[in-house]
Amino acid sequence: MFNQPEMSPCPRCGAPTLVEVFPALFRKINPGKTGEAVMVEGESSCFYHPQKKAVRPCDSCGRFLCALCDCELQDRHFCPACLEAGRTKGKIQSLDHKRTCYDSIALALAIYPLLIFYFTLITAPMALFVAIRYWKSPQSILRRTKIRFVVAIILATLQIAGWAVLLIAIIIRH
Amino acid sequence: MAKSKYQRLTRTRGRSAFALAVMSRTSLWLDDDHLLFVDSSGYAETYKRFYFRDIQAITMQQTSRGRVWNFILGPLAAIVLIVTLVTKPAGPPASWSGDAIAGGIILGTLAVIVIVLLLTNTFSGPTCKTQIRTAVQVENLPPLRRVRQTRKMLAKIRPLIVAAQGQLTAEEISAQMRETIPSAPTQSENAPPVIS
Repeated sequence: MFNQPEMSPCPRCGAPTLVEVFPALFRKINPGKTGEAVMVEGESSCFYHPQKKAVRPCDSCGRFLCALCDCELQDRHFCPACLEAGRTKGKIQSLDHKRTCYDSIALALAIYPLLIFYFTLITAPMALFVAIRYWKSPQSILRRTKIRFVVAIILATLQIAGWAVLLIAIIIRH
Repeated sequence: MAKSKYQRLTRTRGRSAFALAVMSRTSLWLDDDHLLFVDSSGYAETYKRFYFRDIQAITMQQTSRGRVWNFILGPLAAIVLIVTLVTKPAGPPASWSGDAIAGGIILGTLAVIVIVLLLTNTFSGPTCKTQIRTAVQVENLPPLRRVRQTRKMLAKIRPLIVAAQGQLTAEEISAQMRETIPSAPTQSENAPPVIS
């Protein structure tokens, strides 16, 4: 059934199934550590729990950490505060689990309202604002170009220019 | 400009048949030490990382979705083709009216679309459902919907997982399974005595 080159019927439902199993399936999960109490006076203790013995410093801020506060991530050790800061500020990329695609928002604001042109009076400045305001903000971790922002800025500028010309023409006529 | 380190593994696919309505699109990407599953709404992206050292199993189960689509598209293609041929006006094309030409174009286009969908579905091979398992989750991978595509992806990532975790032989897996899942108690040991 497991790690076979061809599919074999599932013993329960009979559907052809292929199961690739890896050693991690049988790996035992290590129980969490609570940290040892400081026994000798003068022994380095945890920054967050002064009564617990320090086991290592935080790789980010250098504070001493007990076994309870030691958060391991990709072979690096962080204190809970640095881990939280890394997550919220996007400094630790492997903790980054959501991103807003402002470039796509700006482009949508510049393109879709063209279907009903009158909307562009409001949406073109919005597209321009989003493109300029979020130009430096982190984009999708997959895309690295700013082409959407550039196209949005060009389209929005053209739409604003079009409205300006129309407004001037109306004023001159009256 | 920095280049994305991720290598595309699958094309972007809808999460479900109704994905077009909710614009939810998913895709799978490869990095040096993990698989990245991206769920995109068009304006925001959610990421899930599956590190090679944490992947416990990958399951692929064949489904009947492809056959069901063929069952729908086949008769539909036949009906559209028959209607197109039956409603074709008599005489040389030069003598056809404007309405007949317009009708022919619409029906012909419809027939081509349905036939292309049918052929694409047939030649893409059997459909499947793929799941990835770690210690804390079992995640469906909607971008992997075809057996051929999933096999290709497995061939690509298997060496990376083996490099991160090592490999188990079939005998080792059987032994480990027996250890992990203890066999059901036999009747003779634990069953209450039978009164005859």
